[in-house]
Amino acid sequence: MRKILTALVRAYQVATTNIAPRCKYYPSCSHYAITAIGRYGFKGIAMATWRIVRCNPWSEGGVDYVDAHLDCADVKNFIHNNEKEVVGAN
Amino acid sequence: MGFILNPLYNIVSGVIVFIHKLLSPIFGANSGVTWSLSIVGLVVLIRIILIPLFVKQIKSQRAMTALQPHMKEIQKKYKDDRQKQSEEMMKLYKDHKTNPLASCFPILAQAPIFFALFTVLNGIAHNKPHGFLKGEYLVSAAQAKFFGAPISETFLGSEMVTVKIVTVILIAFMSGTTFTTQRQLMVKGMPKMDSSNNMMLQQQKIMLYLFPVIFAISGVNFPVGVLIYWSTTNLWTWGQQFYVIKRNPTPGSPAYEELQRKRAHKAKSDGGHVEGIDQNEATEPEVLGQRQQPKKKKKKK
Repeated sequence: MRKILTALVRAYQVATTNIAPRCKYYPSCSHYAITAIGRYGFKGIAMATWRIVRCNPWSEGGVDYVDAHLDCADVKNFIHNNEKEVVGAN
Repeated sequence: MGFILNPLYNIVSGVIVFIHKLLSPIFGANSGVTWSLSIVGLVVLIRIILIPLFVKQIKSQRAMTALQPHMKEIQKKYKDDRQKQSEEMMKLYKDHKTNPLASCFPILAQAPIFFALFTVLNGIAHNKPHGFLKGEYLVSAAQAKFFGAPISETFLGSEMVTVKIVTVILIAFMSGTTFTTQRQLMVKGMPKMDSSNNMMLQQQKIMLYLFPVIFAISGVNFPVGVLIYWSTTNLWTWGQQFYVIKRNPTPGSPAYEELQRKRAHKAKSDGGHVEGIDQNEATEPEVLGQRQQPKKKKKKK
């Protein structure tokens, strides 16, 4: 089920690379949906739907992660750098 | 799904039947022209509703010129970290309460309408009523023809040569309009690309040629009526974009420079008003200058 949905969203991403100027959120609705469905399953579908509803012309957009404490650039960089240090120590 | 789609069937079929009623006295109730124009009318209605959203987006795109220096700064600061770069960009837009990007909802919201139209028109072919399109309307619509091809027939589902010819022409038209719209935007409408956007440009080039293929594959399964809808909406998109690029191009794009030249030329030939318009000309290239990355970079260093 998750794989089917993810594949569908991927197909949408490929098909719309040029028609739809990208989403006003970061990550885009489709990326958000893939992460949310992969991590939360059915709850993820609801989260993705709610995100798409929020992505309307009257919202301001902005940075909006599924889980900011797991996904944001600073956290990722922190983990990445730490891994490097561990490798270096060995 | 039913609770979402039933109201949509009602809306789509309601609009079609309503326009059909309006046009019947002119072209006749059973005329193919009436039914075809009903579908075209549906497109026009949807696109008119969407115009304010389009204007809003264009306006916020224009507001971007003011943010350009900040954006360059962000690009420079996080040039090795695309994710951080995007995050900061989005924060910048949010802080200034403007966002050049379209939102997903209006785009995705059109998909169910398209699907509903597809179902309603398929219903005509299989004698299944949907929403307001029932009874005598259903019988009348089933016989309606668009240039000799019944609007409910598909390329693959029909033996008629006329249907094949009409669908092929419509698919070619759809591909043509999408292709020119896309090319027009790429060649004239977009600010000159720097290297960071090159990958995007490449992707767009691939899509430019892939789209006609996608249309051809999917189009053969769609009823003539759906193809009419699709062709009209593509034509509208093209016209809308043509107007914007001519009259109100994105600052920094080739079309913008062309408009600048035209205005400058006009100002010169007008003679008397030279001073007034020249002042405008003097301020606008300044804004343009901010878009040129190399200059800005040198200043920063």
